[in-house]
Amino acid sequence: MTEALTIPMEHGLLLASLLFLIGLLGVMVRRNIIVILMSLEIMLNACCMAFIFAGAHWGQTDGQIMFMLILSIAAAEVAVGLGLLLQVFRRFGSLDIDRASRMRG
Amino acid sequence: MSMTELYSLLPMITLTSVILVLMMVIAFARNLALTCGLSAGGLLLTLVSVFWVNHDLSAGFVTPLLVVDAYALMFSALIVSGSFFITLIAYGYKVQRGELQDEFFLLLLLATLGGITLAHSTHFASFVLGLELLGISLYAMISYPNQGLFSLEAALKYLILSAVSSAIMLFGIALVYAVLGSLSFTEIASNVYQDTGFDRLFILVGSGMILAGISFKLSLVPFHMWTPDVYEGAPAPVTAFLATVSKGGIFAVLLRFFTTVDSYQYETIISGLFWIALLSILVGNILALMQTSIKRMLAYSSIAQIGYLMVAFIAASEIGGKQLAIEASAFFLIAYFLTTIGAFGVVTIMSIDSTDHDQDGLDKYEGLFWHRPLLAGFFSTMMLSLAGIPLTAGFIGKFYIIAAGVKSELWILLAVVVIGSGIGLFYYLRVIFTMTKQSESNEVNVSATGGWAMAAVTLLLVILGVYPAPVIEWVSAVAKALV
Repeated sequence: MTEALTIPMEHGLLLASLLFLIGLLGVMVRRNIIVILMSLEIMLNACCMAFIFAGAHWGQTDGQIMFMLILSIAAAEVAVGLGLLLQVFRRFGSLDIDRASRMRG
Repeated sequence: MSMTELYSLLPMITLTSVILVLMMVIAFARNLALTCGLSAGGLLLTLVSVFWVNHDLSAGFVTPLLVVDAYALMFSALIVSGSFFITLIAYGYKVQRGELQDEFFLLLLLATLGGITLAHSTHFASFVLGLELLGISLYAMISYPNQGLFSLEAALKYLILSAVSSAIMLFGIALVYAVLGSLSFTEIASNVYQDTGFDRLFILVGSGMILAGISFKLSLVPFHMWTPDVYEGAPAPVTAFLATVSKGGIFAVLLRFFTTVDSYQYETIISGLFWIALLSILVGNILALMQTSIKRMLAYSSIAQIGYLMVAFIAASEIGGKQLAIEASAFFLIAYFLTTIGAFGVVTIMSIDSTDHDQDGLDKYEGLFWHRPLLAGFFSTMMLSLAGIPLTAGFIGKFYIIAAGVKSELWILLAVVVIGSGIGLFYYLRVIFTMTKQSESNEVNVSATGGWAMAAVTLLLVILGVYPAPVIEWVSAVAKALV
């Protein structure tokens, strides 16, 4: 890679932070469980991105290894999440998280 | 990897093989008694291997990810014995809930493996791995096998909030990594960075995010909002697991991180922790006063109890008081494990026959002393221990916390601990008074394994309260090795 193509780490982390905030806002604002799970994925992918930029900055593979780790964790998390989602739809007839909320708090 | 390294990983290898064997057994023969027996036996075997490795220990790193030392083994022993008792208590509860309950014990063992990984971890990669192994198994355990609507709701809430907190923590780790260029705790301790501009910002924001994520998992105020709902909705044995093993593992890694990296030198972090501990004790105790559900009361009381634990954690910031503080938090955690498992164990036994919602209303416990004197006796002992009455382990634990606080001169926090304990006394004793009221008999079928496990937990609690010397010796040796 030539010198001109190098992206400074700060810019990368800024982009990752923006993505992270979009995901966080999505989780807080949206009420549909599928969209919430998608927003969670965006948050986790933003973390992956931050790790990759940091790893590239230090010239280490650690960042990419963390990326793979987070990728598999996110997959497992979403698999369980989708399983629960099926149950929620079957029982409450809706994917609205407020409809599924019966306890206080 | 050399033989000695493999040997020191014996507890993890044992538990992993038990999990594999159990998986095969479930595939061929579905028999709940067999599954539960195998899990309990496997956990006992793991416990034996922990002590075996501890006996002639050559402490050191096993791969850059894990460290095997007295501290890790002590927490492993605690986590494994906690899971052992929960397995026994859960058996009777699960038998009444129909077919296809076997995988629950598989998930329990997996979560225990996650807890042990946390106790051993000395690198952010193994930390994240252990945390998620624990977390993902717990989501499934909470809603397993989704008979009640409440457990489904609790699982969904826990999944979303826990995943958000994990993501926040991961982003914090990425920021810290970006500045320090390492994910290993020991290297983070030795790497230096320029305390200006972007680097300073990243470190500050990154550590704040990691701390927020961990506070969420420990359900400390102001990250405690999920706790009462999830505790109420989850099946009682899972609540016991959530309150003990999950929190114990995370606390172990938090304490190791802080002592290895010496984060105690940062004023900002310590003052943040100060407010977290103070608010946890006050908010937890005051909100627990207003609950009519035992599970919600125990949820708020566990927020307060972890708040007490954080006082000892902060006390470790003073160089002179460090050893005593680590000793105090270890002993307090042992007492907390026993008490919490016991308390939720009684709720489990009471709710054996209820299908949708556990029997956690305070009115359901009226007259328990007259119908089930032994069960009521166990529950009273747990409540007295939580309140910190002498002759129980809870008293020694709280005494230790106060001693650590005095040594590190944390006067404000100590005053709060005393106020919190005063408030706590009221709602813990209220449970005992409720049980002495006269009322109609409501029959409970106590399962034999659950009953014996409860008796063992109560006995251990009293022994620890009357003759704590051997355990104190153990934890002080561990604390000395860590400092």
